Amino acid sequence: MTRGLWTRETVASLLLAAYLPLALFWTLSGGVAALGLFGLVALIVAGWHLAFMLLRAQPPSLAALVTALGIAMLAPEDLGLFRLGLGISFGVVMGEMVFGGWGRNVVNPATVTLAFLGFGFPTFGWPGFDAPVAWAAIPAALIGMALGVLPAAVLIGAGLLGGIAVFGGLLPDPVLYAAGIVLVLLVADPVTSAGTTPGRWINGALYAALVVLFANQWTGAAPVQIAVSAALLASIAAPLLDEAALALWIAQRRRRHGRS
Amino acid sequence: MAFLDTGAGLTPVFPSPPEAPGITEVITEEAAVRPPVGPLLHVTPLVQEGDLVPRGGAVACLRHAPDVRFAAPIAGRVARIDLLPGRRLSEIVLFREDDGGVEHHDTKAATTAPDLRRVLQRAGAWPLLRRRPFGGMPAQDETPAAIFVMGTDTRPFAPDPDQALKGREEALSRGLAALATLTEGPVFLCLAEGSRLAQVAARKDIHMGIHLAPRGARHPQSSAGICMHGLFPAGLDTPVWDIHAEDVAAFGGLLDTGTLSMTRLVRIAGAGLREARLVRSHPGADLRQLTQKIARPGAHVLMSGSPLDGHRAHWLAPRHRQVTVLPRPPVPRRSHWLTRALTRPGVAGPAIPTAALTQALGAALPAPPFLRALGAGDAETAMQLGLLSLLEEDLALADYVLGEGGRLMGQMRNLLDRLREENAA
Repeated sequence: MTRGLWTRETVASLLLAAYLPLALFWTLSGGVAALGLFGLVALIVAGWHLAFMLLRAQPPSLAALVTALGIAMLAPEDLGLFRLGLGISFGVVMGEMVFGGWGRNVVNPATVTLAFLGFGFPTFGWPGFDAPVAWAAIPAALIGMALGVLPAAVLIGAGLLGGIAVFGGLLPDPVLYAAGIVLVLLVADPVTSAGTTPGRWINGALYAALVVLFANQWTGAAPVQIAVSAALLASIAAPLLDEAALALWIAQRRRRHGRS
Repeated sequence: MAFLDTGAGLTPVFPSPPEAPGITEVITEEAAVRPPVGPLLHVTPLVQEGDLVPRGGAVACLRHAPDVRFAAPIAGRVARIDLLPGRRLSEIVLFREDDGGVEHHDTKAATTAPDLRRVLQRAGAWPLLRRRPFGGMPAQDETPAAIFVMGTDTRPFAPDPDQALKGREEALSRGLAALATLTEGPVFLCLAEGSRLAQVAARKDIHMGIHLAPRGARHPQSSAGICMHGLFPAGLDTPVWDIHAEDVAAFGGLLDTGTLSMTRLVRIAGAGLREARLVRSHPGADLRQLTQKIARPGAHVLMSGSPLDGHRAHWLAPRHRQVTVLPRPPVPRRSHWLTRALTRPGVAGPAIPTAALTQALGAALPAPPFLRALGAGDAETAMQLGLLSLLEEDLALADYVLGEGGRLMGQMRNLLDRLREENAA
């Protein structure tokens, strides 16, 4: 038997390829410190993948690097090794590994980690992003959509609503930058975003709406904190959106054919 | 914008040498009568080893429905009758002897639907039909809710039905008119865009219940299950049949002349060949003879069917129109346990929802929830999403694209078998 290429690891490596522009610009602006942070985070995530391979026979995945990139770019600054390790362990184990590894998880482990760190250690400041890093999210999204590994409906749905908000003056620039990076890195994750096309449109639009809401009503929140909280809520809502879209699809077929 | 116009689906590319021009007719020295894919059938042999049978002569019938018969694809002497325990048919092998003659059937009396049904069953044409849900040959007295005639084939290396039916439009329209009497529902004729066969369906002298269904050029758009899923889904109480257009022309020929044509257009292709060929051969043809002179030296694998949904075989399977020859893969060396744990885990990886997966199912159904339901054995959700219209071959492209090596098709077969048992009670 001959076999095709689109296994889980192919998708993970294509995702990494799509994120390369983002990673490149972030490293250019952050320098050696950023690379060191990425290495440390990747080491901790890989440690948990190795532990679950040895204890639970779960094959490790290249998606560990995608998770590490998300955490390293967005985690609060100057946390120290212990707090960072605690947050990553919680996020990776409870958000991904206990469900059976990448591909079977319901929430993005990086989102869980960042939410845990944000709510657990609120005194540490969140990172800000320069315009070049934020702009690099656009080529990343385009590469991902062209390869078919990032759901286009999520990105376009969020982009449309976000564009309207920017046009209406509801999104300040720092929030827009952070929200764009979080959209590409965390929200548009193919596994944990909605799986049906209508669900994906609403998933993206819901994320953008939450960002606009938080940006205008949540006083004192950092831009990245706003975006990560919106990403967490949007990804928790994704299965519900899928369920609704499927029920609608089945009802439509039943009306047309008299059976499903 | 031809890229966008061809619609959903993929065009997987497999290596194959260039094709020799022309079509040769090959009747192999040995041939086998095999039961159609599906549950094993209890049969009563109608011949004994050593008997001479004409082409189209009955060699076996179903034990509980003696009217449904299996016909010999070539004239010859019965060499071996292989039955499994319980007299279930495995294969009946024939040695070719051209003086066996051709079997004639009296088809003049076939004017009403029950007569027509009996003629098709007694002539051995019934196994050309396939029913859904669950697959296999339809029961003797089953009335389908609709019939799909597949006049297009998008599988890699599939022979073009237009070419196969050149000059046989009369027989096709006769066969279509006959098929339309077997069902009270519609008959869908699925054709590629711009197919010449569209004129046949437009003719006034055939039954009004023929609907044209134009299909795109990418796989799996002409997979019968995907067509059914969009146009007329099969259900537990509403079986839907499908049949290849060339076999419908064989029906028409049977009604016109009294003999069932056994030849069909078959393409031989694959990386294990020196040159590809287009031949007119018959079901149960000996694949070794078909490929002997054109195979590359060295070990190879003979498959009946396309590279996507074919299986290793000795004989051309009853409904197949393709032979694939692949070089035999080398036996993998034993590797370190850690390498194996990293590359070939015991538990298969999950399917990641990507555009490739959606297109591999022709964008016809929500692919990620459907595959999740298959993996979890969730029959209820899978049925709601359209499981009953589908068979393994409709999922073959998704299985190939995701690199599952047949696991998805196996999951679907298990679920279908379970549902069949539950609903038989």
